[in-house]
Order: sequence, then C-alpha cells, then structure tokens
Amino acid sequence: MEDLKHLALLMIGILVAFTVVMTLVAYTVLAERRVLGFIQGRLGPNRVGPGGFLQPLADLLKFIFKEDIVPDKSTRFIYFLAPIIATVAALMTMVVYPFGPDVNLPVLGTIRLVITRFDVALLYVLGVTSVGVYGIALAGWSSNNKYSLMGGLRSSAQMISYELALGLGLIGVVLQSGTLDLYSIVEQQAGHLGISGWNMIWVQPLGFLIYLIAAIAETNRVPFDLPEAETELVAGFHTEYSAMKFALFFLAEYVNMFTVSMLATTLFLGGWNGPFVHQLPWLGVFYFLGKVILFLFLYIWLRGTLPRFRFDQLMAFGWKYLVPAAIFNIVLTATLQWLGAFDYLAQFLKTQTGFWG
Amino acid sequence: MVAQRNPLYSAISLIGVFISLACLYVTLAAPFIAAVQVIVYAGAIMVLVVFVIMLLNVEIAERPMRLRALVPIAVMLAAVLFAEAVFMIYFVQASPATPTRNISDVGLTRSIGEGLFTTYLLPFEITSILLLMAIVGAMTLARTGGLLSSRAAVVPGDQVFAKEMLNRQKYIDDLTPVTTHSTEEARGLLGVEDQDRSPKA
Amino acid sequence: MTPQLSWYLALSAVLFTIGVVGVMVKRNVISMFMCIELMLNAVNLTFVAFSSFFRDLSGQLFVFIVMTVAAAEAAVGLGIIIAIFRNRESLDVDDASSLRL
Repeated sequence: MEDLKHLALLMIGILVAFTVVMTLVAYTVLAERRVLGFIQGRLGPNRVGPGGFLQPLADLLKFIFKEDIVPDKSTRFIYFLAPIIATVAALMTMVVYPFGPDVNLPVLGTIRLVITRFDVALLYVLGVTSVGVYGIALAGWSSNNKYSLMGGLRSSAQMISYELALGLGLIGVVLQSGTLDLYSIVEQQAGHLGISGWNMIWVQPLGFLIYLIAAIAETNRVPFDLPEAETELVAGFHTEYSAMKFALFFLAEYVNMFTVSMLATTLFLGGWNGPFVHQLPWLGVFYFLGKVILFLFLYIWLRGTLPRFRFDQLMAFGWKYLVPAAIFNIVLTATLQWLGAFDYLAQFLKTQTGFWG
Repeated sequence: MVAQRNPLYSAISLIGVFISLACLYVTLAAPFIAAVQVIVYAGAIMVLVVFVIMLLNVEIAERPMRLRALVPIAVMLAAVLFAEAVFMIYFVQASPATPTRNISDVGLTRSIGEGLFTTYLLPFEITSILLLMAIVGAMTLARTGGLLSSRAAVVPGDQVFAKEMLNRQKYIDDLTPVTTHSTEEARGLLGVEDQDRSPKA
Repeated sequence: MTPQLSWYLALSAVLFTIGVVGVMVKRNVISMFMCIELMLNAVNLTFVAFSSFFRDLSGQLFVFIVMTVAAAEAAVGLGIIIAIFRNRESLDVDDASSLRL
C-alpha cells in the first residue's frame, strides 16, 4: 500500500510538473516576443485573445497543421530521432528540482514538493544536459545539407565547450554545501527573512556569474547564438525541419532555458526560500516560479540588447577566459572553506548551519 | 551495435548501451559511478566519436569474398570464450549470499571522495598526469603547421634561407641556400599568407 | 527475485564477447574502436557488481580510473585515426595492415 501511494504520488507529481513547465514554456515564447517588442519600440503579438493571451495556442495549431516535409536524401531514422533526443533530454531534468518545502495536503499527508530526491541529483542534471548535445549534432548531420551540418557541428562544439565551464562553476556551490543533492542545497539556504542565506549574495558571486554566462552559451541564446541565427547560417541545424519536428526543437530550446534557470534558482538564489515561507509553505512555490521567471526575463532582456559573438571569439572566450575563471573560483572557494570563512558568515546569514563539519 | 554496417548507427546503439549500463549501476547502488558514466562515456567520448564519424564522412564498405568466411569463425571463437566464462561463473562456488544492496554506504559520493583522496591518492594523481599526456598528444596530432607558426610573417625584400625551411620532411637537413628576390616570392615559397600587420583600431 | 551476482557477471561476459567479435569482424577502424570501448564497459560492470556485492570501495574507484583512462585513450586514438585518414583517404583496417603509406 505504501508503494502504491508512493507510485501514485510520483505519477501525479510528474503530470503536474510537466503541465506547469509546458505551460510556462509556451507563455515564455509569447513573453519573449512581447518583451522584445517593447525593447525594440513596437508591440508584440496582441491580436489573438486579450493581449495576445491565446497566441501559444495559435502557434500550436499552426505547427500541427503545417505540412511535414522530409528531405529526400536524408537519413530517415536519425532525422526522426534527433528532435526526440533533444526534447527528452531537456525534459528529463525536471525530475530533481524542488518546487517547494514540505506541504500538508488533506488526504495525502505531508509531501515534499520534489518528484524524486537522490544523492547525485546535480551530476544527473549535468549528464542529461550532455546527452542533449546529440539531438543537435544528429539533426545537423541527417539533414544532408551542408549548412545544417556546419550549424550542427558548431552548435555542438559550443555546447560541449561550455558544459565544462558550467560544471566547474557549480563546484563552488557543492564545496560549500557539502552535498550534491539539490533539496539539501536549497534547505541550507534558509536565512533571515528567507533572503540572506542565498548562495549568490555572500558566498558565490563569481560562481554565479560564471554559471550564468556558461548557461546562456549552453542553451545557444544571444549573445552566443551564432550557430542558429537566421542571418548567419540559414537557421543552422534545424533548417530542414518543418512543422512538428521544428516545434520539438523549438520546445527543447526553451525547456533547456527553463532548466538552466531552475538550476540557477536552486543553487544560487535559494530555491523556494523567501519571506514567511515556513509559516505558509505554498508560498515557496510562488517564490521558486517567480525567481525562474526573473531569469527568463533576464534571458529575453539580453536577447534584445546584446550583439552576438563570432564563433572563434565564442570558443576563445569559453576556453581561455571562462574555464580559468571557474578554476580560480574553485580554488578560492576551497581556500575560504578551509579557513572557515563560510562557517563564520553562516552564523550571521543562515538560520541553519551548513552541512560540512 | 556489432551487426550494424553504418558506423553512425553503431555509435547511437553504443550510446544506448552506455545509458543502460548507467541504469544498471544505479540498481547496484553505485549512483556516482552511474552519473559519471553518463557524463564521461555517453556525453563526452561518444560525442567525440560522433564528431569524427561526421567529419570524416565514413561510408559502408563491403567485405571482399575471400574474407567472408572469417565471420562465422569469429562467432564460434567468441562462443568458446563465452562458454568458458559461463563455466567459471556457474560451476565455481565462491559467490556470497545475496545481501540487500540498497542500504549500502559504499557508492555514495562521500565514500568515493574519501577513498580517492586518502587511500588511493597516488592513482588519482597519476591519472591526472595521464590526462595531461593525452591533451598534449591530441594537440600534437592535430597540428598541421610545419616549421613556421601560423602567425609568421615574411621580412619584406629579397632574402636567402636554407632549403629545409620549405618542407621539413622532404629536405631534411638540407642547408643549400635558396634566394628570393621579392617579398611575394618568399611568401609563396614559404606558404605564409599575407597578413595585415597594421595596428587594429 | 533479487538479482544474483552471477547474473551481472554473465551479462558482463556477454558484452565482452560481443565486443571481441566486433573487434575481429569489423573493418572500419572507428567501429573497432567502439567495440573496444564496449569491452572496457563490460569490465567496468564486473568491477561495480563485485564492489556492490562485497561492499568494497576499491571496485568503484577502479572503475573511476578506468573511465578516465578510456577518455584519454579515446582522445588520442581518434586523433591518430584522423591523422591516418588524412594520409590514406580510407578507414579500412585491412588496407592499412602494412606499414607503408
């Protein structure tokens, strides 16, 4: 009976998380178009429904009804497999993020608002992000089009380069928290008024910056989006994809954006911590989603503001500047940890002491 | 994976095998090794292999008739090897009783970290040196430039240089002088491209 | 029923022999390389199975080292393959069986 209840909770959790994430992703697309319009001095889509509210539905209908063109000489199996790999890898990371603290439900008792919790959650996220590179590389290859191949290879090379900086930027947080489990890392960031314990402010400012830059490069967004910019390589690796498969790639990109925003929120911004969250647990979900939306707004803002890097500048920046900066951050964090600076700071900032020691 | 003729399909099957092995490691209460398997093997090594397959544009080649007979022989020899392994596993009684594996402390990251930095520090350091050797080796293999670096420029005017500067392998230790009478001739012979050396704004 | 140790070892033996067949049978040098990686993984599975059933940490640490060595070998091996391909224009191992170009 216990197992059945556990399984039922898992299923409900997955369904709810999936629905929430997909809805948010769909409205992120709309929000991007409107915010970009605002930055660029024009209105975004505002005709479909009040204020453009039903625009994602219109986009979905368009994608479903569009003609599905498959290039003649492409490798069929890989052509169909690539968007599946990209989307599945992007969605699989949803499983480990804690959406809120323990809440009391009337019939199910106290449940924890995370789908599953295991020891190596952070490594799992990194691993699944690594597998997502294949979707892009195989898409570029299977389209039998030299622009797609170039775009796909460039995009995958960029992603695997910045994966390294991403992983190294996270090590600072792991050193300070002493655990790879995302739920524990969020729990340790409880502070005065729910804000002072956040890892970004006192503990890891440099790590946060490195992670943010690496995350923007990892998801192929401006200013690192040369491989898929429309003016450069005719839309890059997804040139030959139409209708639903293109929708899957599009979705995968935005879900990836969502994933790295959620990871940044969890590790650096305190997850569901905020004022009065222990008295009112459901407030934690709002804080979490609010912070994630803040990150998405930052992404859109950067898209409207910055020009893009050239590919060799991008690779040089990743390998020659970001990786040494991340290593310096690790050494600095380790030294400060050994000297006890974080324990000293934790007395003032955190209401629970850190795990280490 | 072995029976597929297109190496790209082989690579995709191998990625599937690696991810399945990672799931098996999780059932064996080794979550850290499972995550590292996905990150290192499926996420890095196979990306390298897939890149190489795409860059070199490998095709499927047919086996000539005289070598076709080797495949059944190979399968038979492999069956012998497998039979030997089965014999060792099932008829040699040395395995312990099955304990409950899920409550083991061994696979946790903390235990692996403690082991890696205390008892097994020497293999860890040697592995890091090995990785350094691999990086240097890969960079040496990828280098296509000859004697001159890619940012070399030619001194303007006519000049005399040793013949071995033209092609290191062909004219090795050949020091007969080669005279050029103009900058363009020297550039052409040495294979140095015309670079704009004016200071950039 | 709970999985026995011998099941994991049998799976490892199967993977290893499949890898051996692949190395013997394949003509493409990249496919041979992938079969070698499969053999390494079979051995990794044996180590992790033993480490789990005997509660010994050294099995998993050795797997860690083996993975690192495999990564280093992959980098250098693929570099050599590319360098050979530049000179020969063919990835066939049977054609490359003599040391002349």
